[in-house]
Amino acid sequence: MKFLILFLTVASYCSSFSQNKQVLYGFSDIPQSLLLNPGGKIKNDWYFGIPLLSHIHVNVGITGSTVYDIFANDGIDFNTKLQNAVYGMSSNDFFSVNQQLEIFSGGFSFGSSYEKNEYLSFGLYQELDFIAYFPKDFAVLALEGNQNNINRPFRANQISVAAEAISVLHLGYNKSVNDNFTFGVRGKIYSSIANVNSTKNEGRFITVPGRNNFYDHIFNLDLEARTSGIASLTDDGSDSKSVVRDLKKRILFGGNLGLGFDIGFTQQLNKQWSLDASLLDVGFIRHTKDIENYKIEGDFVFEGVNPIFPDLENGQTADDYWNEIEDDFEDIFELDTTATKYTTWRPIKLNTSLNYAFGKKKIEACNCTGEEDGYLNSTGLQLFAMSRPKRPLLALTAYYYRRLFNGLQVKTTYTIDSYSPYNIGLGMSANLGNLNFYVMADNFLEFKNIYNAQSVSLQLGFNYIFNKNED
Amino acid sequence: MQKHIIKYSFLIIIACLSLFSCVKEVDFDQADDIEISPVMESSLIFFEGQANNFLLNGTEIISIKDSLSINFFNSEFIVDNLIKADFEFEAINSINKEFQIHVDLIDDAEQLLYTFMVPALPSTDGSDFISTPKEEFEGDKLEALKKTSKIVFTLSLLPGEIINETTLGRIQLKSKAVFYFNIGDKG
Repeated sequence: MKFLILFLTVASYCSSFSQNKQVLYGFSDIPQSLLLNPGGKIKNDWYFGIPLLSHIHVNVGITGSTVYDIFANDGIDFNTKLQNAVYGMSSNDFFSVNQQLEIFSGGFSFGSSYEKNEYLSFGLYQELDFIAYFPKDFAVLALEGNQNNINRPFRANQISVAAEAISVLHLGYNKSVNDNFTFGVRGKIYSSIANVNSTKNEGRFITVPGRNNFYDHIFNLDLEARTSGIASLTDDGSDSKSVVRDLKKRILFGGNLGLGFDIGFTQQLNKQWSLDASLLDVGFIRHTKDIENYKIEGDFVFEGVNPIFPDLENGQTADDYWNEIEDDFEDIFELDTTATKYTTWRPIKLNTSLNYAFGKKKIEACNCTGEEDGYLNSTGLQLFAMSRPKRPLLALTAYYYRRLFNGLQVKTTYTIDSYSPYNIGLGMSANLGNLNFYVMADNFLEFKNIYNAQSVSLQLGFNYIFNKNED
Repeated sequence: MQKHIIKYSFLIIIACLSLFSCVKEVDFDQADDIEISPVMESSLIFFEGQANNFLLNGTEIISIKDSLSINFFNSEFIVDNLIKADFEFEAINSINKEFQIHVDLIDDAEQLLYTFMVPALPSTDGSDFISTPKEEFEGDKLEALKKTSKIVFTLSLLPGEIINETTLGRIQLKSKAVFYFNIGDKG
């Protein structure tokens, strides 16, 4: 319970966005599945990823309206479609992008006993996260104005945007304690290349009937945007060369640094049933370098200008009166720029699955006794949860995995999540000699028109693998 | 075995690619056509005065004048996007005397661009008499408004019952502006 409260608290404070990789999770033929559960089962003896090609991941997601809803070339007036999209969406709808590129990775088993039961894995990858929630109130204000919205608050807490580019150096340890239990941990050093976040905005603008005049316009705003790693890139005197040089430096730990860890386990319940779980990216980044924060804060009620009796006793003129109002306005909307250091939390991800393996391989010639993974099929349920600026993302997946041949495995998934109630994913891993290739994608039902998809994700990569029980 | 793997891998990859390639026509240039037409309302000027506020050393004043410099109507956003403006007034008068508010719009060169008058008609029986004059800005008048950098208000008392310390009643003015915008496609 304590843990749950902690998780939810952290979840609600984090700015976070990274995506579900439901096809890759538990796909133990692919070494990169170890990044989703450091305590997962390992089938290889050692491997290395082909540099820059070992894991390429892209995910784009949008809830509410799709690109097709707005940009379809269907003869309907663009502004009509835009309006329909705005009115059809809520402030919990969002647009997100998540991308990862593994720069290098590798792993090897070791151990003192005859059966090597420990495994070290390591690597460096780059990740880009972006999420922007739909600020519905302000979209309506821009579309309609306040005339039809007297007494309606336009709430600033709907403005929520976060973007981060990081590189992650990691080292993981995995141990099969016995036939039934495997656990693993992974330490991570984050280097933030650039960060922008504005997720804790508050306040509102509202027009209400006034006492002295028709309306009181109430401005009550507390907006903040924090950035690191941006100011120096946009400085005068920085050109594309110096920007590239800067970015390279930051990928190699010249950026704002952070620490984090992953943990996970796999428990074999009996010969056919197993349970596993992992908690990823429990960590933070401390932003101390190249910071520029912006803040808009203030309260102000505008009821108009009194030109005749501003303050006759004090000899105040209408001009003075107006100047005071202008000053008040400026006070509110003046952008305060600070360089206060700040900390961001990585998006915590929880994965868990319950699996059932079945269908033993018919022994044709050899007597492959002692083979642990004697089952050709497995099926199960996976749950994924991830912290987000507004509310956690949840996804429930049912999957079917099948080993077609020794060197070819496929997995198909059916996922229900924030984006869609019918997301079908498909992935395969193929070994040609020691070269491993995998590719996976989801939302296949939407691929008939990709612009109509609410989310699309694609992962692929090449590894060089030495499998256990080979030779 | 390897042949099989290669064959199946290709099948799966080709299936993926063929699904990816199915795209219905979209036209992102439509974003250039974006056009929004918000209508904003804002409080404008207001005042409230008792009858005896209009006395100076015991005698009725003829007029009160005041002005304000304002760089709102000539700001870039307004000049580019405002297509119409209405100034709506509500004058409540319970004094048996007509008041008039003259509003002069003046540009940077101190030239008078446009002038209009808001009457507050008299109340003969001491009850509130409400006038709701309205000034619409379109065409040339709107252009004049968009050059305005100074507004001069003159509150004039018209002939009628003379006000003294014992005169009852009050005058109150409320006003708002309705701004009609058209932002975006300027075709």
